[in-house]
Amino acid sequence: MLVFIAKRLLWMIPSLFAVSFLAFVLIQLPPGDYVTTYIATLAASNEIVDQNTAAQLRERFGLDDPMLIQYFKWIWGILSRGDFGISFEWQQPVSDLIWERMALTLVLALSTLIVTWAIALPIGVFSAVRKYSIGDYFFTAFTFFGLAVPSFLLALVLMYVAAVEFGQDVGGLFSPQYENAPWSFAKMGDLFSHLWLPVIILAVSSTASLIRVMRANMLDELPKPYVTTARAKGLSEFRLLMKYPLMIALNPFISTIAWLLPNLISGSVVVAIVLNLPTAAPLLLQALMAQDMYLAGAFVLLICALTLIGSLISDILLALVDPRIRLE
Amino acid sequence: MPNEFLSRGVTRRAVLGGMAGAAALSIAGRAFAAGGEAPALAQLVKDGKLPPLTERLPKKPMVVTPFEKVGTYGGTLRRGLRGSSDHNGILRMVGNQSLVRWNLEFTAVQPNLAERWEVSDDATQFTFHLIEGVRWSDGQPFTADDIVFAIEDCVKNTELYSATPSQLSVAGKPVTVEKIDDYTVKFTFAAPNALYLENLATPLGQHPTLFPKHYCSQFLPKYNPNIEADAKKAGVTSWTELFRSRCGDIEIPTRWGNVDKPTLDPWVVKEPYVGGATRVVMARNPYFWQVDTAGNQLPYIDEINFGISQDVESLMLNVISGKIDIQERHISVLANKPTLSQNMQKGDYRLLTLVPSASQQCQIYFNITHKDPALRKMFADKSFRQALSIGINRQELIDIVYFGQSEPYQAGPRPTHPWYHEKYARQFTEYDVDKAGAMLDQAGYKKGPDGFRLRPDGQKVFFSVDVIPTLYPDLVDALELVKTHWSQIGIDMKVNTIERALYYTRGDDNAHDAQVWPGPGGLDPMLDPRDFFAFHPQGSRYAIPWTLWYTSNGARGEEPPESQKKRMKLFDEARSTADLDKRGAIMKQIFDIAAEEFETVGLCLAVGGFGIIRNNLRNVPEKQPDSWSWPNPGPAMPQQFTFTS
Repeated sequence: MLVFIAKRLLWMIPSLFAVSFLAFVLIQLPPGDYVTTYIATLAASNEIVDQNTAAQLRERFGLDDPMLIQYFKWIWGILSRGDFGISFEWQQPVSDLIWERMALTLVLALSTLIVTWAIALPIGVFSAVRKYSIGDYFFTAFTFFGLAVPSFLLALVLMYVAAVEFGQDVGGLFSPQYENAPWSFAKMGDLFSHLWLPVIILAVSSTASLIRVMRANMLDELPKPYVTTARAKGLSEFRLLMKYPLMIALNPFISTIAWLLPNLISGSVVVAIVLNLPTAAPLLLQALMAQDMYLAGAFVLLICALTLIGSLISDILLALVDPRIRLE
Repeated sequence: MPNEFLSRGVTRRAVLGGMAGAAALSIAGRAFAAGGEAPALAQLVKDGKLPPLTERLPKKPMVVTPFEKVGTYGGTLRRGLRGSSDHNGILRMVGNQSLVRWNLEFTAVQPNLAERWEVSDDATQFTFHLIEGVRWSDGQPFTADDIVFAIEDCVKNTELYSATPSQLSVAGKPVTVEKIDDYTVKFTFAAPNALYLENLATPLGQHPTLFPKHYCSQFLPKYNPNIEADAKKAGVTSWTELFRSRCGDIEIPTRWGNVDKPTLDPWVVKEPYVGGATRVVMARNPYFWQVDTAGNQLPYIDEINFGISQDVESLMLNVISGKIDIQERHISVLANKPTLSQNMQKGDYRLLTLVPSASQQCQIYFNITHKDPALRKMFADKSFRQALSIGINRQELIDIVYFGQSEPYQAGPRPTHPWYHEKYARQFTEYDVDKAGAMLDQAGYKKGPDGFRLRPDGQKVFFSVDVIPTLYPDLVDALELVKTHWSQIGIDMKVNTIERALYYTRGDDNAHDAQVWPGPGGLDPMLDPRDFFAFHPQGSRYAIPWTLWYTSNGARGEEPPESQKKRMKLFDEARSTADLDKRGAIMKQIFDIAAEEFETVGLCLAVGGFGIIRNNLRNVPEKQPDSWSWPNPGPAMPQQFTFTS
C-alpha cells in the first residue's frame, strides 16, 4: 500500500508538468494577447488606450517572447521560489490572489458535497429498496426536475424573488461589514449564514444524478445471492443493507471523488457569477477572458493538482471499502 | 424629429440647455468665510487628529455652484462595477481632477487645479497658475514641484514609459516642464499644440496631477538608491513594477489598489480595487480643495461604495430593487430601457438621459487596403460603396432595431454641433434599389444566373463583415437586416460574429474584409477624428496601413493617396490652430474631402443611452454627454451630489 502511494506520488510530478504545459498552451491559443484584450475591453466602453502605452505594455510583460520561454520562466519561478508570477491585470503577485479564493472554493465544494451525499444516498437507497412505490415516483420526479432546471436559472429566480419580493440581499458570501474584515468566528458564522443558498442551488442538480446512480447500483446488488444468504442467516434488514450492498454500491461515488473538485469548480462558474460568489471560478473565468495567463495558469495548475490528489484519495478509499479491490 | 436634441441649426449650448447654468465654477473673489465641514471631520478636528478646516483648505478655494441647491453632508453613494478591468468606472466617478476641466456642456475648458493660464501665440508654450494652498489627501502641499516631478521624472523616464504618452509628445519630442515659482509651471512643446488644453481636460490628460512627489519619489531610482531591494521585498521583479503597483497610472487597476497613495480627488481609496475584491470603498478626502457657494467643504457624500457584480443581469437586479444610487455604466443599452422604465417606482429612481458624443451608431468600414487585390479594387471603388449605401433601407432598420429613435446618417459631427456638415452627414442615405442596381451594373458587377453579382474576374461578389456579438448585440441585428437589403441588389454578405480579441487581431493584421464599430466624433470631432481620415491605427478600420504610415511619419504601413495626405496635413494644421473659428474652417475642408471620398458607410445617428438616479440623490444633471473624453458622470461633479433624507 505504501509503495503504491509513493509510486502514485512520483507519477504526479510528470503529470503536473504535462498538464501545466498544456494549460499554458491552451490559454495562449486564442488570438491576441493580454494587451489586445485589454484594449478591446476598454474600447468596449469607448475608452481609449494611448497607442504608445499599449506598445510599451506588451514589451513590459514580455509578451513578445516565444511561448516556450514564457512557460519556462513561469514554471521556474514556481519551482525555485514558489512564485506564480504577476497578474498582468492587477499587477499583484498571483499567489496573493488565489489562496483565499481557493479556500472559499473548497469550503463551498465540500459543503455542497456533504449536502449532496446526505440527500442522495438515503434517497437512492430508499427508492431502490422501495422500487416503484409512491415515494420512489416522488423522488424520481424530483430527480428529473432537478436535472432539468439549469442551476444558474434557479439562482436567478431565487435571487429575484429574494431581492424584489423580500428585499433581501442575496449576492456574495458575506455581509457588507464582514466582506473585507479579517477572519474571526463572527465572520465564519456570517459565511455559513450565506453559504446555504449557493450550496442548495449547486446540490439540486448533482443530487438528482447521484440518486439515479445510487438507485441503479443498489438495484444491481439487491438480487445477488450474497444478499439472500445474509438474509437467510437472519441479519436484520437495515444492517444487511448497510453492511454489504451499500458498500459495493458506493464504489462509483468514491471513484469519482477525483472529478468532484474540478467539477464543482467548473460546474459552479455560472452560478458563482450570477450569485457574485468570491470563489475561484469567476476569477478564473475573468483571467481566461483577459488572457491574464499567469493567473489563469496558476488556477488551472491548482485544480489539476487537486484532481490528482483526489484520484489518489479515491483509490485509497476504494481499497478500504471494497473488499474486491487489492492494490498489490 | 424622433429625438428632441436633434433639431438642426441650434447651437450645442442651447441644445444641452437643460444643463446650462449648472455647476458653474469660479474662484472665490470675495473674502472666504470659513463654512461648514462634514460632522465626522469636525469631530476629528475637535479630537486634535486633524487640523482645522481653514488650514486644510486653500486661502481661496475653488467655489462650485451646486447644480440645484446647497447640499447636506452624509450618506453612502452606491454604484456598480463589473468584474475586472473596470477601473475606469472608478475614474469616471472619482478621478477627474486635472489642471483644467470640461464645462457641463462639453464645449469649453474651465479652470480646475490651475486657476488661470496663458498660451503663447504659436501654441507651443502653456503657463499654468495653480491654486495656492491645495493639499494632497495626506495633507502635504500640492505645488509646481509635483507637476515637474510627474512629467520630468516619471512620464519622461524611459524605463517607466518606453514611449512618452502621445498627449505629451508633439512632433516626436516630449514636452518640457519647468517650474517658474511654487505655483507656476510652464509646458513647452516642440511644435504648436493648440489642442493641449482640451486634451488636458480628458482622462488621458491627467498625468501632470497624478504623481505626488513626496510619495512617489520613493519608488524611483533617482530618489531611492535601494529601490531594487525594496522591489524584491515587495515580491515584484523590478522597480518599474513596484512603481506601477504603488503609484498606478491613468487607467490601470492599480491606480485604485493602494490606500496609501495621496490624491487630489474628492474621495480616496479605503477598500482597494485589487484582484478578487468584491467591492471598492472610497472615503471622503479631508483635504479636498473645493467648497460650495456657502463655503462648505466638498464633497457632501461621505463614502462611495462600488459593488462589483460579475454579471450585468445581477447589476440590473440591484438597480431595479433600489440598491444603486446612480448608474449608467453597463446598463445603458437601449434594450434595458423598458425594464428600467417599468421599475422606476419600485426602485424609487428617475431616468438619466445620456447625449451620445458618438456620431454613428454603426459605421461599416470596407477595407480599402485589402490584401486581396480583387477585393481591394472592389472596396476602393467609390461607386460600389455608394451603391451599397443606397441599397440599405435605413428607416426599416431604425424602426426595428432602434425603436425608431434615430435617423439615417453617414458621418461627421452631430446635427447639433456647430461644425455639422450636411453633405457628409446625409449623402447616399436614401433607399433606392433600382439606382443601386444601375450603379453596380455600371461599375462592372453584373448579375449572375443565381441573382447574385459577379466581379469582373468572374468570381461571385462575397465578403464578410466582422462584428462582436457580446459587445454590440444591436449591430448584429442591424447587419442581419443590411444583409437582406443587400441580397436584394445582388450582393452576398456574411455577418461574421467573432470574439473581440480576434476582431482586433484581424484588424491589426489587415486581414478583414469589413468591420463595424460605432463611429465617434459626434460632439468631439477634434479628439477622435478616426472616421474623417486614416487617423487611428486601430480605429480607422477602412485603411489601417494608411494610419500606420501617418503615425510612423512614413516609416511603416502604406503610403496613402493624395486626398488622405491632404487631410492629414489639414488636421495637423487644425491641431495647432488656437482660434476656434479658424480651426472650424480647416475642419470643414476635411469634411468636404471626406464627403467627396465617401470611405465609410454609416447607418444611422448614434442613439443615446440611459441611466438611473435614485430620487433622493440631488444635484445630478439629468442630461449628460456620454463620452470617454467627457468621462461621465465625473465632469458633472459628483462632489456636489447630495442626498435628501
